[in-house]
Amino acid sequence: MDLTIDVTDADNQSTVWLSGEIDAYTAPQLKEALVPLTTSEGHQVIVDLEDVGYMDSTGLGIFISALKSAKEHNSSIRLKNLQDRVLRLFQITGLDDIFTIDTAIWGGNK
Amino acid sequence: MDTLKPDAANYQRLLKHYIAAQDEQSLYGAEQISKQFIQNNVPPEDIVNLHNQAMASLYSDMPAYFRHSMNFLLETMISYGVMLQEYHTLREEQSELKSEIAVAANMQDTLLKTTTPDMEGMDIGVISVPAHQMNGDYYHFVTGSDGLLGVAVADVIGKGIPAALCMSMIKYSMDSLPEKIMRPQTILENLNRVVERNVDDSMFITMFYAQFIPSGGTVRYSSAGHEPGFYFNAQQNTFEELEAKGLVLGVDPDTNYQQYERVLHQGDMLILLTDGVTECRQGDRFIESQEVLDVIGRFSHLPAQEMVDNVYKHFEWLQDFHLRDDFTLIVLKKV
Amino acid sequence: MGLLSCVTINNEWDIVKARQLGRECARDVGFSTVDQARIATAVSELARNIYLYTDSGQLCFEQISHTEQKGMTLVSLDDGPGMDDISQMMEDGYSTSGGLGTGLPGVKRLVDQFDIQSEKGKGTEIRAVKWTR
Repeated sequence: MDLTIDVTDADNQSTVWLSGEIDAYTAPQLKEALVPLTTSEGHQVIVDLEDVGYMDSTGLGIFISALKSAKEHNSSIRLKNLQDRVLRLFQITGLDDIFTIDTAIWGGNK
Repeated sequence: MDTLKPDAANYQRLLKHYIAAQDEQSLYGAEQISKQFIQNNVPPEDIVNLHNQAMASLYSDMPAYFRHSMNFLLETMISYGVMLQEYHTLREEQSELKSEIAVAANMQDTLLKTTTPDMEGMDIGVISVPAHQMNGDYYHFVTGSDGLLGVAVADVIGKGIPAALCMSMIKYSMDSLPEKIMRPQTILENLNRVVERNVDDSMFITMFYAQFIPSGGTVRYSSAGHEPGFYFNAQQNTFEELEAKGLVLGVDPDTNYQQYERVLHQGDMLILLTDGVTECRQGDRFIESQEVLDVIGRFSHLPAQEMVDNVYKHFEWLQDFHLRDDFTLIVLKKV
Repeated sequence: MGLLSCVTINNEWDIVKARQLGRECARDVGFSTVDQARIATAVSELARNIYLYTDSGQLCFEQISHTEQKGMTLVSLDDGPGMDDISQMMEDGYSTSGGLGTGLPGVKRLVDQFDIQSEKGKGTEIRAVKWTR
């Protein structure tokens, strides 16, 4: 469906604001915006998912790509404000132990 | 274009009639001729030309401006004619692609076929329906001579051909493992290493593996980030989520998997599924886990295969007969 | 019209000159009205490519009268940047200045024979032949 991506860059840090749904259609867009941000050494990438109501496994795959890239380039990535449904996906897949995830908000379906 | 000649005569006759009478019948005739033109691949500029010639033939006193206007229109139609040809080519290509995918889907069916075992003491029901031509869900049964039953359910992320190729890799890896003697956690650990070495950065696979030892009713299981299954307790008539946390396959080659154990008593069921079941939507609304269980509960008195068939039909209906994701549901009932 | 006549394409107005010359040549050969229009369109696309992507080039026309069947050759020559990937340029739906129905794949469909030689940095030569029916 639809996904809006806003990025604000500061010196050592980039914040990515996502809004909408992350699925097979919008995943390529996300990959294009997110992965390149992880290629600078020491850079911190923060992804705010407050307005993401739905994400499927293709979306997870993109975050995994980004995480692997961050490891390779010595940068970091953290996720924040995950909605219930999205957080659950990270929990089931065991990825919540691998990613740095800040405060989840409760609420679920928008 | 020889086929054009009889059409040209026809066209002129109908045109003449229509100019005189403006009748619906002539227009119906025009519709028929149009279909013939399309069938014979007549491009639009040829039709404009045909019209021009027909008019010149019918009216000797045709004003020059009309002829000029038609020539102008003819020029405008040339690009449309080219586009029409390109459309035909693209349609042919699409048809070829569809055939290729059908062949691949068939191969997949053959290669990955697994028979549901007929096991004493267990009633097994299975349903796996792809959302598109190729199935991204995988399931597999293995039986040992000592009565051991192994069952795997996996979900490859992504859809279509790449997911299916990934699945073939899983199948062949599993074939090479001495599954009958390995514990679920070891099987997952082995597979994890294979997957991590062989897939793209953003691909991963979730899998749930269970082993039944029918003599005592014990089941051991491990999960690699898979959608949690359920345990149905016959005596209490309750469902319980199967807690089994583990990392998806393909991300970290060194991860370890936890193994869990349970005892099944008569009437108890183990329900395994993929997220095509739990991610059903009704219109815009996601269905809740409890609803999934309610539906399963509704059919739980039936034999396992009937049960899964009915559950599927319900969710198919709920989603307007349009699956969003591959749907796999396996029920193992201790009888 | 001689055996070979050419138009140099420097500006957009030259495209119109090329169309005209092409159509006249086609008429002389004896092409039908519709085929004349097709040839003019093919000429236009070729000339437009020269105009848009190169500093200058030429469009030439040659009557084919020595064979049993009559026809015409269109030749487009330029010293432009040349093409990196010809097969990509020839893919339907791929066009830097349009969509379906335009570009080199379109020209190919308007004629009977089509040949293109192009090398990056060395310009492009396109030869197209159309036969009367």
